[in-house]
Amino acid sequence: MERAEKIGLGVATAGHVLLFGLLSAGFLSTPNPLKLNSPPMDVSLVDEVALKSMAPQVSTQPPPPSVAPDEGPTEDAAPAPEPAPAPEPTRAPPEPTPAPPRAAPREAPAKSREKPAPPKKAAAKTPAKPKPAADKPAAKEKPKPQKSKPAAAPAKSSAKSAKQSDAPAKASGSGKADKPRGSLLGKDFLKGIDTSADAPRKAAPAPAAAMGPAQKSALDAEIRRQLKPHWRPPSGADADRLVTLLEVRLDKSGALVGTPQVIDQQGVTASNRPQAKLHAERAIQAVKLAAPFRNLPPEFYDQWKWLRPLRFDARLNR
Amino acid sequence: MTLNLPAGAITDAATISPLALFLQADIVVKGVMIGLLLASIWTWAMIIGFSVTLRKASRESRKFEADFWKAEDIDRFYEARGKAGFPAAKVMAAGVTEWRRSTAQKVIDREGTRDRLSTVMSSTIAGEVDRLSDRLNMLATIGSVAPFVGLFGTVWGIMRAFTSIAAEQNSSLAVVAPGIAEALFATAIGLFAAIPAVIAYNRFSHGINRLEAALSRFADGFYSTLSRELEAQR
Repeated sequence: MERAEKIGLGVATAGHVLLFGLLSAGFLSTPNPLKLNSPPMDVSLVDEVALKSMAPQVSTQPPPPSVAPDEGPTEDAAPAPEPAPAPEPTRAPPEPTPAPPRAAPREAPAKSREKPAPPKKAAAKTPAKPKPAADKPAAKEKPKPQKSKPAAAPAKSSAKSAKQSDAPAKASGSGKADKPRGSLLGKDFLKGIDTSADAPRKAAPAPAAAMGPAQKSALDAEIRRQLKPHWRPPSGADADRLVTLLEVRLDKSGALVGTPQVIDQQGVTASNRPQAKLHAERAIQAVKLAAPFRNLPPEFYDQWKWLRPLRFDARLNR
Repeated sequence: MTLNLPAGAITDAATISPLALFLQADIVVKGVMIGLLLASIWTWAMIIGFSVTLRKASRESRKFEADFWKAEDIDRFYEARGKAGFPAAKVMAAGVTEWRRSTAQKVIDREGTRDRLSTVMSSTIAGEVDRLSDRLNMLATIGSVAPFVGLFGTVWGIMRAFTSIAAEQNSSLAVVAPGIAEALFATAIGLFAAIPAVIAYNRFSHGINRLEAALSRFADGFYSTLSRELEAQR
């Protein structure tokens, strides 16, 4: 080994040790660039992507309290209503006048036995009582209690006449009020029927507010109809194969929010490549000219606030 | 270039510390790294030694040649400077020695003397070039082999990284990254050794070729001078 080589070996070793030391001390290290302070981001995959469920929504409100009649006297025995409905329709109309004298004396004692205020009771009971009286036949025949209500409200006499049928039963039942009630109807048979006395129930969001396929196609057709006058696709070789997909945001009034963006372009071939850019520009132009869009149903704003993809092909028919 | 790095940067996991990478590495990769590091040191030692030797040899040969053509008396010039250790002086010494031996005889065989002079000087040139380019093939070897050795270390280290993925059942980047970094470090060292070696090999072989050409020219000139002298001697 010559002298020059010894010098070279020494210098090379020293240089390597120096380089190694510098690298170990972080001399050439790059500071970690990934010190990003990014707050977590809310990602919702549902909102604007899927159509809404068509299933009816379950109401969160409690059902109305039972409004079934629980007056003792009227629901006496099971056999009592049985004979009543048959004669009622025929008997009630022909004898309106004899009914009050007959019913009043019978009812008055019955009531007076319960409470010592006969005139007030009679006045208070009479509007209330016809309801169950009418409800019973209604429950058996058809579920519309409204028919008897107007009859009861205007004239006491007509209500009483309607009550004639159960009057005998009441007369016998009023004496033994502690008898077990034999009504065939459950206490809650009116559950779920909207009664005017109940607190106004807010109607659950109807499933119709969600968009069905038919409404969606109608909405698409409406948007296309408004776009069509402004859509002039470029012409040229294979230009009718081009399809441009845009993303358009609309506000509630149908006006554009931002600029339409090209998401994708399909059908680009070698021969129509020169037209592809023009196609996309014309599509954006058509949207800009057609905006603001009219006649879009505001209740479906969720469906048309973000038109993606808005498809432009040669004839704008899909 | 500033050195005002934060103190934590040295111990930061993301900082590439060669020592940390070396210590984390597998035993095979460690061996590869050590070998390549020695190759790199050897390369640089040779680069430094070679450039010193070669530059000195070519500079002195050039100076010697220039002085030789200016000299009036070859014998006197030989006595003064012919004993030096650099190639041109050796070529001249070989020529002069052979000349003296050949002309010492009573009957001078001119053709034979010319042949011998030519052979002696060209063999001296070849010997000098051989001596100079003795370790040049080491540079060539390092330059061509070091990348492959580094690549071997990298492949081995990446294989090991993947085995660790399989062992931990977790393919997150944090599991893979250190292994791959240490594996790639082997290739980095290999390239670090190979690139200077290749450059130096090309540079030095070119320098030796030039020196050889210069010595040949000098030898040819000296040979024609001696040949002329031989003609003159009757």
